[in-house]
Amino acid sequence: MQEHKVLVANRGEIAMRIVQACRKLGLDFVCVYTHEDRHSGHVALARSLGGERAACRVSSYHDANELMAVADHAGATAVHPGYGFFAEDFRFARRATNRDRKLIFIGPSWRVIRELGDKINTKRLARSLGVPTVPGSDKPIYDELEAEDIAASLFAFQAEQGIKRPMVLVKASAGGGGMGIEEVLDPDMFRAVYRRVRNYSRRQFHDEGVLIEQRIEDFNHLEVQVVSDRSGKNPVHFGTRNCTVQSTGRQKRIEVAPGFAPSEIAYTFDAQKVLDDIIGHSLTLARKVGYDSVGTWEWIVTRQGEPYLMEVNTRIQVENGVSAAISRIRGKNGVDIIAEQIRTGLGEPLGYTQEDVTFEGVGIEYRIIAEAPEDRFAPWVGRIDEFRWRDEPWLALHTQIPTDVAYDIPTEYDPNLALAIIWGKDLSEAKARGRGFLDGLTLKGENRQGGMRSNIAFLGDRTERLLVF
Amino acid sequence: MDTEKRLNELNERLRYVRDIFGARENENITLLATKLGDFQARERTLSEPERIRALAALEDLFAFLEKKLEAELTPMDKVRIVRHPQRICLKDILENVYDNYTEIGGRDEHSIDPAMLIARAYITRRKGKKVYNQPVMVIGQEKGHGQEFRNGGSVKPWGNAKALHYMKVAEIENIPIHTYVFTPGSYPVEDWPGAAQQIARNLYEMAALKVPVVSVFSEGGSGGAEAIGLADTRLMLSHGYYSVISPEGAAAIESGIRQGQRAPAELIETCARRLCITADDNLKNGYVDRIIQEPALGARVDDYGFFKQLRQEIIRATDEVVLSVKGIKLFRAMALRRRQRRGAPIDAEAIYVRWDLNTAARERLLSRRYAKFMRLSRHAFLDKRPAVKKACSACHDLGWSLYSFFRYDLWRKHHRRIAHAMAEMGAEVDVVKERVSRPWRRIFEKLGGGAAVPEANVERLTQLSAWEADGDAAEGDTAWRYVSPRAAEDRAVTCPNSEESGCLDLWAPDLFGDFAGVCSYCGHHFPMEYQWYLFNVFDERSVFEFNAEVESGNPLDYSGFDAKLEKAKQKLGRKSACMTFEAKVKGVKVVVAMLMAPFRGGSVGAAEGEKFIRAADRARKKHFPFLAYVHGTAGIRIQEGVNGVIQMPRCTMAVRRYIEAGGLYLVVYDTNSYAGPVASFLGCSPYQFAVRSANIGFAGPGVIKETTGLDIPPDYHRAYSALSRGHIQGIWDRRDIRNNLYQSLLTMGGRNLYYR
Repeated sequence: MQEHKVLVANRGEIAMRIVQACRKLGLDFVCVYTHEDRHSGHVALARSLGGERAACRVSSYHDANELMAVADHAGATAVHPGYGFFAEDFRFARRATNRDRKLIFIGPSWRVIRELGDKINTKRLARSLGVPTVPGSDKPIYDELEAEDIAASLFAFQAEQGIKRPMVLVKASAGGGGMGIEEVLDPDMFRAVYRRVRNYSRRQFHDEGVLIEQRIEDFNHLEVQVVSDRSGKNPVHFGTRNCTVQSTGRQKRIEVAPGFAPSEIAYTFDAQKVLDDIIGHSLTLARKVGYDSVGTWEWIVTRQGEPYLMEVNTRIQVENGVSAAISRIRGKNGVDIIAEQIRTGLGEPLGYTQEDVTFEGVGIEYRIIAEAPEDRFAPWVGRIDEFRWRDEPWLALHTQIPTDVAYDIPTEYDPNLALAIIWGKDLSEAKARGRGFLDGLTLKGENRQGGMRSNIAFLGDRTERLLVF
Repeated sequence: MDTEKRLNELNERLRYVRDIFGARENENITLLATKLGDFQARERTLSEPERIRALAALEDLFAFLEKKLEAELTPMDKVRIVRHPQRICLKDILENVYDNYTEIGGRDEHSIDPAMLIARAYITRRKGKKVYNQPVMVIGQEKGHGQEFRNGGSVKPWGNAKALHYMKVAEIENIPIHTYVFTPGSYPVEDWPGAAQQIARNLYEMAALKVPVVSVFSEGGSGGAEAIGLADTRLMLSHGYYSVISPEGAAAIESGIRQGQRAPAELIETCARRLCITADDNLKNGYVDRIIQEPALGARVDDYGFFKQLRQEIIRATDEVVLSVKGIKLFRAMALRRRQRRGAPIDAEAIYVRWDLNTAARERLLSRRYAKFMRLSRHAFLDKRPAVKKACSACHDLGWSLYSFFRYDLWRKHHRRIAHAMAEMGAEVDVVKERVSRPWRRIFEKLGGGAAVPEANVERLTQLSAWEADGDAAEGDTAWRYVSPRAAEDRAVTCPNSEESGCLDLWAPDLFGDFAGVCSYCGHHFPMEYQWYLFNVFDERSVFEFNAEVESGNPLDYSGFDAKLEKAKQKLGRKSACMTFEAKVKGVKVVVAMLMAPFRGGSVGAAEGEKFIRAADRARKKHFPFLAYVHGTAGIRIQEGVNGVIQMPRCTMAVRRYIEAGGLYLVVYDTNSYAGPVASFLGCSPYQFAVRSANIGFAGPGVIKETTGLDIPPDYHRAYSALSRGHIQGIWDRRDIRNNLYQSLLTMGGRNLYYR
C-alpha cells in the first residue's frame, strides 16, 4: 500500500485531515490550491509534511482536467475528493477510474455513487428492501388524478396518526437543491399547487413528473456512520449521531453521538429500538448495493418514533470525528475514519468485524462559527483578536485560527472557525464538560460595526436540551 | 452616312462574337477581324458603289461565319451569351411579344426589388373582325441590360415574395401566368424572410396554383430559377442554360479553392460541359418541354423575328396547357397537334382558346402538373432490384392504396359517425339514470351510509410501487441506447464557447456519452452521428427501413464522380444520403425521411428525392405523420445537375399533396442545412424545428461573400436567427428531441392522429 500517492482534491479543514491521515498511513500525497488559498492552512501543512512539491497550484478546484493533469504530473495513483466539489460526482469517479492512466477514487465506486445519488432510486431501493421511507410516492407522478389521490391519502394518513397540522410536499422530481418544492396545508389547495409545480418543472427541467410526500415538521435528524472495504460485503457501522441542532438554513451546529440516550432521557417511543432499527436498515441497504467506502445514512425520526430514510451521503463528512470519539476498535480508541477510508479505498481489507467495534460514552461536536444566531445566522466577518481555550484530555479542537496573532476572517473561507469534540462517559458528563468548555472559551474580535458575533451562546443554550425529543 | 452606320454595326457584331468566345482564339473570328480591318483600311480609297458592294459582301461573310461559329459554341459560351448585356431582357419581351402591358409592383429602381419585374399584359388575337384580349400575368427577372440596380437578375427574398403575391392575384383573376427566368441565382441573404424560406414558400404555393403556368428559361440558375419556374410547360431558349450551380461555382467546389481566388478557366469550361446545362441537354433529360430556337449566337435586343417566334410559342404553349384540361377541346387540340406534327411554321393565333378555367379543369390542371413532375428524373437513380421484386413492391403499393381507401375514406367516416352517436346516447342515458336513482340514494344516505372519508391507503404510501421508467436504459453506463464511438477516447474536449462562457474542458466519454454531445456549461451542441438519433429518438427496435434499394447514381456521367460516390457508399454502407423508415416515438407511428450528412454532405439528388417522395406517399396512404429529420444537408448534389434541382419542385409537390390530404409534416434540422432542400421541401413545412446545433440558410458564408460582397456576422445562420425570422418554430435541446417530438405529435396531430 505504501507505494500509493494520494491527490488531495480539496481545500481547507478536510484537506488537512486527509493529509494527516496519509501521513499516519505512511502514504505520499500531493495537494492542490488556488491563488486565493495560497496562505491557507492546508498548503502550509502540505509543504511542511511533504516538501515544496507537495502542493500544486490550480486555477480552480472545480476543473477535473486540471486535477487529472496534476495527478499525472505528480505521479499520483489515487485521488481523495474530500467533501463538496467532486465528492459525490459519479462522473468524476468514473473518469478517474476509467481513464487511460487510472486513479483510485477514494470513495465508493462510481456505480454506487450514481445509484445512491438519485433520490428516487434510493427510495425505491429502500422500499424494495422493506426499509422505511417518507410516506408518499416513490416515482414521478404524471397524472393529475393519481396525484390528487395520493395527496388525499397522505392527508388522511396524517390525520390517523394524530398530526395536528397535516402537510403534503409537492416536488419536481427532476429538481434538486430545493428548487420546485412547495408545501400544501389545505387539501383544497392541492390542485393549484400541483399544477404550479408541474408547470415549473416542465419549463425548467422539461419533465412533468412530480413527487408527492408527507411533509414532516417535527423530527430529529439522525445519521448512521457506515464503513466498508472494497469487497462491499461486510459493512460495519460506527454508531449513530443526532444532528438535530441546526441553523435556520438547515446547517448543522451540534452533533451528538450516539443518536439518543434512552438510559438517561425518557422518550415517548422505544429509542433503543429505533437506533437498532436504523442501523440494521442502513447496513441492509449497504450490503444490497455493495457499498464499498465510508458513507452516512441520513434518517429522520418523527415524534411517534417512526424512522424514515432520507438519503445516503456517499462521502466523508465534517462530523465523522464525533462518531470516532465514542468508537473503540478492539477496545482501543483513537479511531480515524478518514484513515480507514483511505486504507480500505486503496484496497486493504477492513481487518475487523462489527463485534470488534464497541462504543463508550457520549461525544458532542460543536461547530464554532462567526455568525449571529439571533439575526437568522447572518455570518460575521472581521478581525479575531483573541481565541483561547483550556486544553483538556477529553477535548479535541480543530481550528485554522492562529492563537498568537490577530486573524482576519477571509470572506471566501467557510465561516467555520473551529470544531470542538468533547467526550464524556455519559450524556450528563458530556453536557457538563461542554458547558464548561463553552464558558471557558475566549473569542474576541471586532469589525467596523462593532464587536465580534459568534454562536457560542446559542451552542450553550442548546446544550441543555441535547437529545431531548 | 449609311455605310458608316452599317460599319459600326459590324464592329459591334465582332465585339459581341469576341465577348462570347472569351479568350479563345478562333480562325473564323480572326478572319472576320482581318476582313473588317482590311475594309476599314481601304474604305477611303473605294468609290461609293464599290464600298457598298464590299460592305454587303462583308455582311454576308459575317452572317455566314456567325452560323459557322454557332456550331462551335461550347456550354460556357452559352453562359457568356446569356450574361451579355445585349441579351434580350424581360422588358424587350414585354415590348415586343405582348400587345399591351402595365408594369406593376414598382418602376425601375423604385421597386421593392428591381430584379423582379411583374406586369399585367395582354395578348390580342384577331379572328376576322373579332378582337380577343387575353390577359396574362407576366413574372420574371429583369437584368436590364446590365443596369446596376437590377442586381443582374439576382432576386432578393422580398422580390420573390412579390412574385408570389401576384401569382396569387392571377389565381384569383383566373388568368394564366407567364414566367421568364433570367436569373443567375437567388440573392442569398437571410433577412425577413430568408432566401430559402421565401423560395420554399413560392414552390409550395406554385405546386397548387390553379391557373396555367408557362415558363421560359433563358438563364436558369438553381434556386432562383425554381422560385418562379414550377410550370405546366417549361420552354427554353436555345442559347440559355439551366443549371444547379454556375460553372464557376462548380469549378470552385471542384478545385477546392478558398474565398477570393479564381478557378482556372479550363476547369470552368469543363464544369460547364459536365453539368449538362444547355437547352439540348435539358430537353434530352426531360426538364424542359420545348426549345425555342434563337438566331445564331443568341437572341439580341434587335432580333425582331425572334420575338415573333417567341410570341407564337408562348401562345401555343398556353393553349396546349389549357386545352389539355378543358372540357370542350376536341378539334382544336387535334388541329394544334397536327400542325405540330407537320412541322409547319405554326400560326398559334389562328385558333382561339379561352384561357380561363372552371373548377373541374383547375383540379385536372393540378393533377396533370403533379403527374408531370413525378415523371421527371425517374432515370436518374438506380434501382438494381430484379424486375420481379419491383413488380412485387408495386403490387404492395397498390394494395396499400386500396386498403387505405377502404380503411380511411370509407370505413372511418362511418365508423366515426357511429361512435359519435353512441357517445351522445350514453350521455343521455347517464342523465336519466341519475334522475331515476336519486330518491333511493337519498334514503340510503339518511340511513347512515354517508360520504365515506377517504381512507388512507398506507400500503400504497409506504410500499414499493410498480414503475416502468420510460424506456431509458439506466442499467447501462448512460441513458442512451447508442453512444458515439467518440465516447471511447480518453481525452478532454474544449468547447468552442469556452472563451466567452468559461466552459471547462469536458471529458470525451462524458460529453459524447451521458451529455449527448451537449456542453454542460453553455449548452453548445457538438454534432453527433446520425445513428444517435436513429437509436435514441425512436422507440427501441421500432425502426423499419423501406426503399433501401433506391441508389444514387451518376446520371450525367460526371467524370470522377463514380469513384467518389462509390467511396461514400462503402464508407456508410448506404446507397443514398436519404434513409426512409417507419418508426415509433413513444408508441406513435411515424414515417421518417432522414438526410444523412456523412453521405456526400447529405446532398439531395434524384435517388434522395425519389425516396423522399415515396416516403411522403407512404405516410399519406397509411395516415401516419411524416417527419423529415435533417441530420445535415449541403444542398442539391451538383454532380447530378438539373436532375438534382428538379427534386425541389418534385418533393415540394409531394409534400403539398400529403399536407392537403390532411397529414402532419414535421421537419427537424440538426447540424448544417443549406440551399436547395431547405429552399423547397423542407422549408415549406408549417412545423419546422431545429436542434440547437443547427445552422440553417440558403448559401454558406463563403458563397455569400463571393456573390454579394457582404461580410456576414458569425451567427448569421444559427438556429436562433432562423427562429427570429420565423423560418423555424422552435429550438430543441438534443436530449429532449424525443420528448419534444412526442409533444409535437400530440399537439399538432390531435387525437385522431394525423388526419384532420
